[in-house]
Amino acid sequence: MTDLLRIEDLAVEYKTRRGTARGVDNVSLNLEENKTLGLAGESGCGKSTLGRSIMRLVPYPGKIVNGKIDLLLHEDIVFPKGVIEKGFVNIMDLNEEELRALRGKEIAYIFQDPMTSLNPMITVETHFQEIMKAHDPDIKKEEALDRAQEILDGLGISPERITDYPHQFSGGMRQRVMIGLGLALRPKLLIADEPTTSLDVIVEAQILEEMAELKELFNLTMILITHNLGVLAQTADDIAIMYSGRIMELSPTEALFEDPLHPYTQALLESVPDVSKPDKKLSWIPGAPPDLVDPIPGCMYNPRCKHTMDICKTTQPGLIMNDEERLVACHLFGGEK
Amino acid sequence: MSQQAKAISGVFYFLIPTSGDWKEKSRNFLIGLSIVLIGVLVIVASFIGLALRSNSGIGIWVVGYTILCAFIILIAGAYRRFKLHEGLITPTRGWFLITVVFIVLGMISALVGFFWIPEEAASLSSALVGGGTVLGVIVILLYDVFPQLQDRGSAGYVTMTGLMIVLAIVYMTVVSWWIVPYDPTRLDVGPYGAPPSAQFPLGTTSLGQDLLSRTIAGGGIMLQVALISVVVCFSIGVPLGLGASYRGGNVDKVISLVMDSIFAFPGLVLAIAIAAMLGPGVVNMALAIAVVYIPSYFRVVRSQVLTVKELPYVEAAIVMGARDRDILFRYVLPNVLPSAIVVMSINFADAILTAAGLTFVGLGLPVTVPDWGWDLTFGSHQYIAGKWWVITYPGVMIVILALGFTLAGEGLNEILTPRLKE
Repeated sequence: MTDLLRIEDLAVEYKTRRGTARGVDNVSLNLEENKTLGLAGESGCGKSTLGRSIMRLVPYPGKIVNGKIDLLLHEDIVFPKGVIEKGFVNIMDLNEEELRALRGKEIAYIFQDPMTSLNPMITVETHFQEIMKAHDPDIKKEEALDRAQEILDGLGISPERITDYPHQFSGGMRQRVMIGLGLALRPKLLIADEPTTSLDVIVEAQILEEMAELKELFNLTMILITHNLGVLAQTADDIAIMYSGRIMELSPTEALFEDPLHPYTQALLESVPDVSKPDKKLSWIPGAPPDLVDPIPGCMYNPRCKHTMDICKTTQPGLIMNDEERLVACHLFGGEK
Repeated sequence: MSQQAKAISGVFYFLIPTSGDWKEKSRNFLIGLSIVLIGVLVIVASFIGLALRSNSGIGIWVVGYTILCAFIILIAGAYRRFKLHEGLITPTRGWFLITVVFIVLGMISALVGFFWIPEEAASLSSALVGGGTVLGVIVILLYDVFPQLQDRGSAGYVTMTGLMIVLAIVYMTVVSWWIVPYDPTRLDVGPYGAPPSAQFPLGTTSLGQDLLSRTIAGGGIMLQVALISVVVCFSIGVPLGLGASYRGGNVDKVISLVMDSIFAFPGLVLAIAIAAMLGPGVVNMALAIAVVYIPSYFRVVRSQVLTVKELPYVEAAIVMGARDRDILFRYVLPNVLPSAIVVMSINFADAILTAAGLTFVGLGLPVTVPDWGWDLTFGSHQYIAGKWWVITYPGVMIVILALGFTLAGEGLNEILTPRLKE
């Protein structure tokens, strides 16, 4: 399998009045084609920032300060002002025009809140037409309509409803429309930023299932950002656990749930409520994540870790591959290299 | 009710009970019908009464001719409906047909006016063409557009009411010269400051002008000033606000500073200064008012854009690779336009009053030009002496016109915003 996306030493900084916070700190990732990568972690750990950096959409005052994001293109992308040649493209080197040609066409992004992600003033049909027109100015109205109806039909929304306005849809349907819009141009990479957070569990399950089907259908590669480990257990092939802007562990899903390596991952899995053991009290991780403006030396997790050693307080652990080909950033595994 | 019956009944369709208990519905039907009939009778009677006593002597013919034009347009509209119902023509060609009828009628009216009374202070041709067009537009609005609007509930009624008020005043103004009982530009047509009587139904001003004539003819200046100033304001203020806040940075800072400094002046004082600089005249008056009101559009649009451009759907559009142009005009502008339209409806009413103020300080128009604003401000002094009629009638007309603009603006706003649809 070839890699679709390679991220090297990506660092994102937020310049605030108090100082500079590293939202994403030297993250390196390789994403194989047709795989689903789950990004998990608690709030503020940088998972959304990482997802947005791939689109070069880090919100102000954030800035990508370092790193390389290589995306594999299978075909040349032709847009009115030029051509992006196929092969690996460093997204960091692209200008605005080129980025615009890439967004939607190669990478799609689905936002967390479907209620406000659609323009209330235009119909769903217009949404589809706008997107198709933005990337293919010559497309005929009927053709765009046909394709849009086909996509909606595939997502379980009756095609007649295409002339409706967003407020006439329920939350789950709007998220389906958003997914449909994201997939309208057959992108290769889909980044879903907590796509089911604001939906109830039944709709959540439906949508996750549909996304899995669409993934097969369109040969999608997916990055699923969530704080819900249950969702990842169902859908992801690999899971990256993030903490304070760094990747703590990157393992295949099954291995991660069966045998979490990093103490943080262990603690996270501990704290997932278990229906089969009603007597068990909910556990949590004592303490709070460190202040990113004023980072502590050594491993960011050391004040909350059960296994803190002296080296943890002085040296930052790098990602190490263990003998099962799993990546972990912890001094506990330093010797097994 | 069948489609054909709906097509025939046109505007009266909504009055006819189509479902439910007839007795309950028929009361509303009768009330509605009587309101419409009484309204039509009052309007027709007053127009005929005016036309018969008109100064020009041909008032009845002018009114009759324009009504005839409207009738022809109504027939054309019904013909279009019929053809459309039978599936013989496409909607586009139907509207093309109506447009052709309008143009042909307009040309005939121009010729009729030209040969009938070739030379006169006010051109008969323009009165005939304008009056026919306005009545034709009213008919088309009632017959063809209204059945579509009424699906939108109260917003449709509000819009239609507003448009009707404005168009009725426009019609009155266009044909005013030919139906007024006395020459509105002349002084000394009657006694000074006489109360309403049989000869002068609304009384006279203290300069001996007939107030009825001036009230009928006085809308022209108001309409022109309000329309020009609002169009200028809207087309400068909204794009500036949109561009400045969308781009942000220094451009935004500079434009905001300029706008705020204009905003710092009291409106009327600034308008007086600009009008004094430009000199008297309708366009100059409109420009002076426009400058005063540009900042209010700018402020409202700017603050709205700042909110809207951070909303997820704008970001979603960026993510999907939408062009800046599309984001600005399809995503941001439609969402800020409702607020701008609210400002517009206030602006209309304000522009009318500011124009009245400018006329009062002598920067508007000469006293002989019939103008509600002039009568209102001039009459306010005579009100103390007990001459209530001088300010009452122009005041009522200004209120009605402002109300019409406000209703039309509000209704259109509601119709154009899909979220408020249900």
